[in-house]
Amino acid sequence: MKGEWLKNGAIQALLLLNGFVMLYPLFVMVISAFKSNAEIFTSPFALPAGFDLTNAARVWNETSFVLYLGNSVIVTTASVAAILVCATMAAYAIARYPFRLSGAVFLFFLSGLMVPLKLAVIPLFIQLDGLGLIDTRAGLVLVYVAMGLPSAVFILTGFLRTLPGELEEAARIEGASELRIMLSVMLPLARPAMVIAAIQNAVPIWNDFFFPLVFITSDRLKTLPQGLSVFMGEYNTDWGVLFAGLTLAALPIMLVYIALSRQFIAGLTQGAIK
Amino acid sequence: MISARIGKLALAATAAWGMAFSAAHAADITFWTWRQEDKAAYTELFGDFTKANPDIHVKIEAFDPANYATILSTALAAGHGGDVLHTRAYGALETFAKAGYLLALDPKAVPELANLPADALASETLRADGKVYSLSFASQTLGVFINKDVFAKAGVQPPATWDAFLAACKALKAKGVIPLANGTATAWMDEVMASVFINPFLGPQFVADIQSGKASFEDKRYTAALGRLLELRDYMPPGFTGVDYATSQQLFLTGRAAMFAGGSFEIANFRKQNPKLNMDFIAPPAPSAGAPRYVSKFYDGGYAVNAKSAHQADALKLVRYMGTPAYGTKFAALLGNISPIKGVVINDPLLAEVAKLNETSMPYIMAVYFRFDSPTGSELLQSGLQKMMGGSATPEQVGADITKGVSRYYKPFQK
Amino acid sequence: MKPAASRRGAAAARRRGLWIGFLLAPALLVMTLFVAWPLASAFRYAFYAFNGLAASHFIGLENFRAVLFEPPYSAWTLRALAHNAIVFVALMLVQNGLAYLIAFALLKALPGHRVHQVIVFLPVVLSAVIVGFLWKLFLHPLFGLVNQALMAVGLAAHPWLGDGNTALGSIIFTNAWHWMGFPALIFLAAMQRVPREVMEAARIDGATDRALLGAIIWPLVAPATTIIFTLTFIGSFNWFELPYVMAGLDGSPGGATDVLGLYFYRTAFGSTSAGLQDFGHGSALAVLMFIFLAVVSGLALRVLRRREIEL
Repeated sequence: MKGEWLKNGAIQALLLLNGFVMLYPLFVMVISAFKSNAEIFTSPFALPAGFDLTNAARVWNETSFVLYLGNSVIVTTASVAAILVCATMAAYAIARYPFRLSGAVFLFFLSGLMVPLKLAVIPLFIQLDGLGLIDTRAGLVLVYVAMGLPSAVFILTGFLRTLPGELEEAARIEGASELRIMLSVMLPLARPAMVIAAIQNAVPIWNDFFFPLVFITSDRLKTLPQGLSVFMGEYNTDWGVLFAGLTLAALPIMLVYIALSRQFIAGLTQGAIK
Repeated sequence: MISARIGKLALAATAAWGMAFSAAHAADITFWTWRQEDKAAYTELFGDFTKANPDIHVKIEAFDPANYATILSTALAAGHGGDVLHTRAYGALETFAKAGYLLALDPKAVPELANLPADALASETLRADGKVYSLSFASQTLGVFINKDVFAKAGVQPPATWDAFLAACKALKAKGVIPLANGTATAWMDEVMASVFINPFLGPQFVADIQSGKASFEDKRYTAALGRLLELRDYMPPGFTGVDYATSQQLFLTGRAAMFAGGSFEIANFRKQNPKLNMDFIAPPAPSAGAPRYVSKFYDGGYAVNAKSAHQADALKLVRYMGTPAYGTKFAALLGNISPIKGVVINDPLLAEVAKLNETSMPYIMAVYFRFDSPTGSELLQSGLQKMMGGSATPEQVGADITKGVSRYYKPFQK
Repeated sequence: MKPAASRRGAAAARRRGLWIGFLLAPALLVMTLFVAWPLASAFRYAFYAFNGLAASHFIGLENFRAVLFEPPYSAWTLRALAHNAIVFVALMLVQNGLAYLIAFALLKALPGHRVHQVIVFLPVVLSAVIVGFLWKLFLHPLFGLVNQALMAVGLAAHPWLGDGNTALGSIIFTNAWHWMGFPALIFLAAMQRVPREVMEAARIDGATDRALLGAIIWPLVAPATTIIFTLTFIGSFNWFELPYVMAGLDGSPGGATDVLGLYFYRTAFGSTSAGLQDFGHGSALAVLMFIFLAVVSGLALRVLRRREIEL
């Protein structure tokens, strides 16, 4: 069909345009990292005059980049793992078992989304201090888990609700335990939602510098955005260094995302009914 | 005797507090600051201190400036925080002092307070109890930076009166130079620029009238002075409402703009970014030939002692050291800022000029008098200026909004 | 019912209760310790007068009265709320509407759709700080590419973020660029669950793409819409990072981009170059935001859920 062909062509063209709009700013971010301050301001969108690595070298040499990176990896991984485990368990209970307080429990989780946790920074500090968790990675992870649970429970409950009940019933009749039904029948079907919840939480945790700034003081425990924020403060008007720092901070998570994108997309489409 | 008393105090504080926050050894004290870019200079300054006091080492913790107040207030609320703290001045200092987080500096315990001028002490005093809580570290002067090379190339003389200023702007613009680098996108810079140009029109009498309640910000003098700013719009960068602070700095540093209305706190930064820049810092234009060209002056902040510090005696020693002329002289030389301490020698020629300009100065009105209660004069003025320069408010509306806002707490306006 | 059976029933119910309790316990514990309790203590401050940074005495609803009814605070609260509402409606239409169309385009599985799936989500992994910086540069009045392009086709340059009429729109656009991949993939995941037979049957009946999108897919992806609507609603009214990076804490110019998130933060934590910290007013604002969001999203969830069930 010619009409169909033409339409698909138009859709393809629009997708290409969209792809360009999505990618071009990222390209600018990367080339800016190689530019001097004056160059960024006079010709921000031109290619850099040379492949100048001074900005990146400065970030690398003047901060404990690898150390901060390691801390960020540990904190983000631990937080996301804990969020997924706790949120999946809770969402499963809310979505698959009708019980008296399920609505109230769901709203309790949802209420955590309604107000910025920053508001509670002083009580949180005192709470963590009482538990001896100030200036520890564990303290930071707990705060992130608390921050991420509401949206993760919300997304997972929404998806788990839509799973057909027949499979569950069939397994139950066969005498499978509830744990077994959850782990080997239902959760594999919820993979797309778990992937979405994981990414949706990993990004803000990876990028956050507010809570580490308040809760972490030892240099050896600092996360990447926090460590770089101090460094960027020293160069607060050197945009080339700033872009180099931002690019270096964004690069690990972008690379991880691109490397895992196949699994990510596969996870998303696994729920597809062929 | 004094030190014995302080020692006892410190002991009591330690006992009350239980355990020191950071597991530092006994003679380590920490200094908390938002001046990340000054870390190297402070390391050197504190090195001198440790040479004189070999048993006290100072550890510097520098924080993100945008979040410094939050980080500091959170730590202090939980009974932690550095031993010596960099604090802001005026209303921002009061919020900390009122809460009991800072140690009042007794002139007997810190005799160096006598080295400071009265307005510097006032900037670090809690008005309610009249006690000083922080030792001022720098005064800042607001005026006009000029690029001498750009002026020379355009054949224009630095202007001394408002009319000459506008004429110079016109001549510079004709040569393809942006006369004034300032934009209005960064709110606090609007207040800086406004203060630079309107203070000579207002004069010290206006400040006195505001304090006595004889005049408000609806006064003709104030609104007329604000109106002058509108004449500058033709000489600011194209699209100046979207030009932020960082861009303004770059326009001036790269020579694309000839002037920059700003504060003496830029000097060190400008030099670092463009060491070849041939700049001068001059007083703003006078309303008429021969009239005084008032610069605006205020104090940045000071050094305070954490009321719950476990090392108060050592912390006080450090603060006393930071109140000496020797410290002030080295501070000025290393950081390119004017130390308010009497007897400080300023060798840098440009800084010496700024110090000279300070002899004809007026207070930076909103920061010095109207940042103690909410809504602050600064918030109202900054937002009003952005609207006025963008064309959506008149000077009269801005003046009326400020007067109405501050009347909520400012007694002289409540009559 | 025989006693033995009812005993067995009771034991089963207890086991079931224990199992549900076990599933909920870890999440509830963390939420209570690190969200509910700290927030409740912060909310308490809304009822206190402050002496500097320390709470001094109980003043009942005075802080609420001030932020709701006393000028200039009341005007600021109202202005911020109106801006949040604009942000929400615009993001629903532009960001999520486009996301819906892109999801459908990707569903067609044209050549290259896998690569595009990766690309469309790429900006989502960036921080708001970097996205804000980048777009500030693109929209820059002097050097920005947007203006350079406009001038190249003979149009006038415009200070996008400096003009009160375009500043909020520019930040909303940037948000859409940053986040569009998220709703797009949620929609895509939902669309892929629409049984193929349903779509093919509709096509054989002669349904156009438009009809397919409106009448067949739209109702079937209702659960995804519920998630996106709710997250966009809450996100729009808690909007903070992007306007903070692009317009500053003061909502420049002249409050044209001021939203509740900025207003709350500025009030509770102070802006070093203009305002003071006022935890009482700040907490009152946060409590009001909380109540507003909880009531509206509670009602919306009810309606949206009913829509899901009807299908």
